Amino acid sequence: MGNNYFNTLPLREQLAELAKCRFMDMSEFADGVEALKGKKMVVVGCGAQGLNQGLNLRDSGLDVAYALRPEAIEQKRQSWKNATENGFVVGTYEELIPTADVVLNLTPDKQHSSVVEAVMPLMKEGACLSYSHGFNIVEEGMKIRDDLTVIMVAPKCPGSEVRAEYVRGFGVPTLIAVHEDNDPKGEGLALAKAYAVGTGGHKAGVLMSSFIAEVKSDLMGEQTILCGMLQTGSILCFDKMVEEGIDAGYASKLIQYGWETITEALKYGGVTNMLDRLSNPAKIKAFDLAEELKVIMRPLYNKHQDDIIDGTFSRVMMEDWANDDANLLKWRAETAETNFEKTPAGDVEISEQEFFDNGILMVAMVKAGVELAFETMTAAGIIAESAYYESLHETPLIANTIARKKLYEMNATISDTAEYGCYLYNHACVPLLADFMKGIKTDVIGKGLSVEDNGVDNARLIEVNAALRAHPVEAVGSRLRGYMADMKKIV
Amino acid sequence: MDSRICLENFSVNFDERFHLNNIDWTIEPSQHWVITGTNGSGKSALAAVLAGVGEMESGQISGLPSRVGLVSFEAQAELIAKELKKDDADIMDVIAIGTPVQEMIFENCADPELAAELVEKFGLSHLLDRAFRKLSTGETRKVMLIRALSSKPDLLILDEPFDGLDADTLAMLQQHLASIIDTTPMVMVLNRFDEMPSFITHVAYLEKDGHDGGKLAFKVDRKDESAFAELYQLLHLKTTDLQVPETDPASKLPALDPQQPLVKLTDATIKYDDTVIVDKLNWTIEPGKHWQLSGPNGSGKTGVLSLITGDHPQCYVNDIFVFGFQRGNGESIWQIKQFIGYVSTSLQWEYRVSVSCKNVIISGFYDSIGMYTKSTDSQKKIADEWLALLGMSDRADQPFNKLSYGDQRLLLIARAMVKHPPLLILDEPCLGLDDMNRQLVLALIEKICAGKETTVLYVNHHAEDQIAGIENYLALQKNA
Repeated sequence: MGNNYFNTLPLREQLAELAKCRFMDMSEFADGVEALKGKKMVVVGCGAQGLNQGLNLRDSGLDVAYALRPEAIEQKRQSWKNATENGFVVGTYEELIPTADVVLNLTPDKQHSSVVEAVMPLMKEGACLSYSHGFNIVEEGMKIRDDLTVIMVAPKCPGSEVRAEYVRGFGVPTLIAVHEDNDPKGEGLALAKAYAVGTGGHKAGVLMSSFIAEVKSDLMGEQTILCGMLQTGSILCFDKMVEEGIDAGYASKLIQYGWETITEALKYGGVTNMLDRLSNPAKIKAFDLAEELKVIMRPLYNKHQDDIIDGTFSRVMMEDWANDDANLLKWRAETAETNFEKTPAGDVEISEQEFFDNGILMVAMVKAGVELAFETMTAAGIIAESAYYESLHETPLIANTIARKKLYEMNATISDTAEYGCYLYNHACVPLLADFMKGIKTDVIGKGLSVEDNGVDNARLIEVNAALRAHPVEAVGSRLRGYMADMKKIV
Repeated sequence: MDSRICLENFSVNFDERFHLNNIDWTIEPSQHWVITGTNGSGKSALAAVLAGVGEMESGQISGLPSRVGLVSFEAQAELIAKELKKDDADIMDVIAIGTPVQEMIFENCADPELAAELVEKFGLSHLLDRAFRKLSTGETRKVMLIRALSSKPDLLILDEPFDGLDADTLAMLQQHLASIIDTTPMVMVLNRFDEMPSFITHVAYLEKDGHDGGKLAFKVDRKDESAFAELYQLLHLKTTDLQVPETDPASKLPALDPQQPLVKLTDATIKYDDTVIVDKLNWTIEPGKHWQLSGPNGSGKTGVLSLITGDHPQCYVNDIFVFGFQRGNGESIWQIKQFIGYVSTSLQWEYRVSVSCKNVIISGFYDSIGMYTKSTDSQKKIADEWLALLGMSDRADQPFNKLSYGDQRLLLIARAMVKHPPLLILDEPCLGLDDMNRQLVLALIEKICAGKETTVLYVNHHAEDQIAGIENYLALQKNA
């Protein structure tokens, strides 16, 4: 095991790497998949990302096979079934890796060290090793053989979406990077671009980033706003509603589907649009609550970012890996025992608008979390585009998992790394908000404001609207969403 | 009219030359009907039945009114023929003047006051002394109308009454008709929906039945707005002589070798675990040879199709030749799909993106679900032509997912055809459609089959949905 790679770099390079992120122009992909044509691509791992990326690459005319561990093949495990039923060549590492021009490591983070250690000696001189997440390189400090090219291609969506969008003729936003220390032939970028074309990502927008920027922003986003805030918010809002006498089935439903509904508005028009869905008095209320939450939670966001940047987070988590995931499994079990998790959604109708009207606090929590994560990341030197994708952009995707099967589904869908960070956040955030929650009543969670009329003070409304629109996440968000809208949904 | 007119399983012929078969139809005294339908389906014949014309073959008819006011081309021709006969009958060697208009209108007139008023309104005052047979066609039509309207009929039958009338007269007539709806039930034959007066309550739609017959296919209450809209479209497709729009020259497909088959499957096999769905199928589709593929559920019809379209992952482990490509040699699925137009129920389920109707059609140029590229003006123009063909021009900018199921299907067929693909695959295109929409879809497909560029592969297990022009059949069996 090597040292934390990021920490070995001088500050100047750390800052330069963190700040790497550029939205690439469509014209940069004019060569299509040419750089990979006729090359042998071997995917290691056949889970959701592995299978679906492989299907896309093959349908783009590329040569794809799957290398699996011998026991997966012998026991005909799901990964073996996934690959063979789809008509792929399947073999062991020893059989396939030496033939590969590109090895796509699409196993979970936790297995990266062992997989790469097994694969690297088998790889032929001058081949390419591809990651979809930079944790192994950046946090674990894996050293890759000097003759190998190391790239990252990371579709910013679950594997099933990667496939579904490709079949429609589109793709999902994708982040690519080249590991500067491993680009001996200078072909890393060409290979990464061709790979992104092969999965359809170029149609939805590609961000050119760095391994470091990807890891440090991805970790920050997933453990704070994306998973941590939604978990803490679910638990606190549910318990508060029940305490205030709201029907538990209603409360459960409002939260389970509420995150999805309100973040759908976020997806289309940012924080501004999410708050614009509220009545004027409710909007001002949500704004005030969010301001209060930001003051209370800012130290926690800073701590998460600091621990991520200096490597404390990954060190502590890897200690738990070494301890058979003792903490992770314990915390997972505790989550299953929360009242929210145990109470099924009631059989009640909640209209789309009602999720906003009766979930003002949830709106405030999403706003506070998105803005804090974005502000903390950019303050740490991560560029606004990266910070946007790792905070606001992904929030609706995570909210969808809660709508499917609550926190269990969310934690099962996200990576172990995200799950671990999510619990850390939750453990700190629940007590941190205890006093704040004492002042919360059903007007902001469960029932909605009971106002005589919807009148508000003009000056205050203007202030709130201006503040919403002036936040930097809104500026970069509307620009990036604009790129997307140019390509997608020309309605 | 005090009682309803009732036709039950009624069949009738007209000099043995034309038959109306098994008509079930009830007209209540308060209703006003339009009869419409395709050319030669017997619209005028059905109207004439109500005036007692035709020779009954079987079934029941009751409640026919005693006083019928009938205006039609046939009646007009008959009247003129009678007038000309009077000339022939004149033995004196003088030039006969024939019956004057005055007499034609006022003799045996039930309501002379009304007749006089109408003469004024129709602008016939200066022609009262002229011989009927000297009038122009339009003028005789006006005389016919005045005679019918002033006869205090129990039922007024107007066969294409608006044909050949100038705009002012047309407006005047419509206004007059609207003023008598409470006292006079009406049945009108109209070919064009847009001429339908607002007081019409019901529509009867006729179709051809054999080469010398017609049948009453649909009866629609105007209050049923969706059925009414569908009927409008059906009539539009069946009666207008539109051509399938040209494709976009800029989106032209690469040329295929006409000597090679479009598709050649050799020992094609689909299996999961040890279950074999399709076993060693050999099938060649030559250009210009339309095929119908059938087989029970689970016989692998859709699987075989998806081997051809490249949607089945096992296409890479089969011997498949499509559009010049031996599969699995570095071609992309988009290179395959460009040659295929594809319509199926599952495509319709998958087509869930929110796009306008026009963009759904244009997406056929890109083989995409949804639009992710800016379309060209020429593509937009072609999409407009397709919308016109479908009778959906007014819905160009409406969201696709707000349309009825049948309209969505029609749009997807247009989407599949927009690029004039060498192969059009229609996987149970009528599945889930009601009778009316089924007719609509089949009418559209027949228009397409008549063209030369596209080979049709039609998958269906409804025997009644045969399409003219298909001569090759492949029936899949279910593997035990």
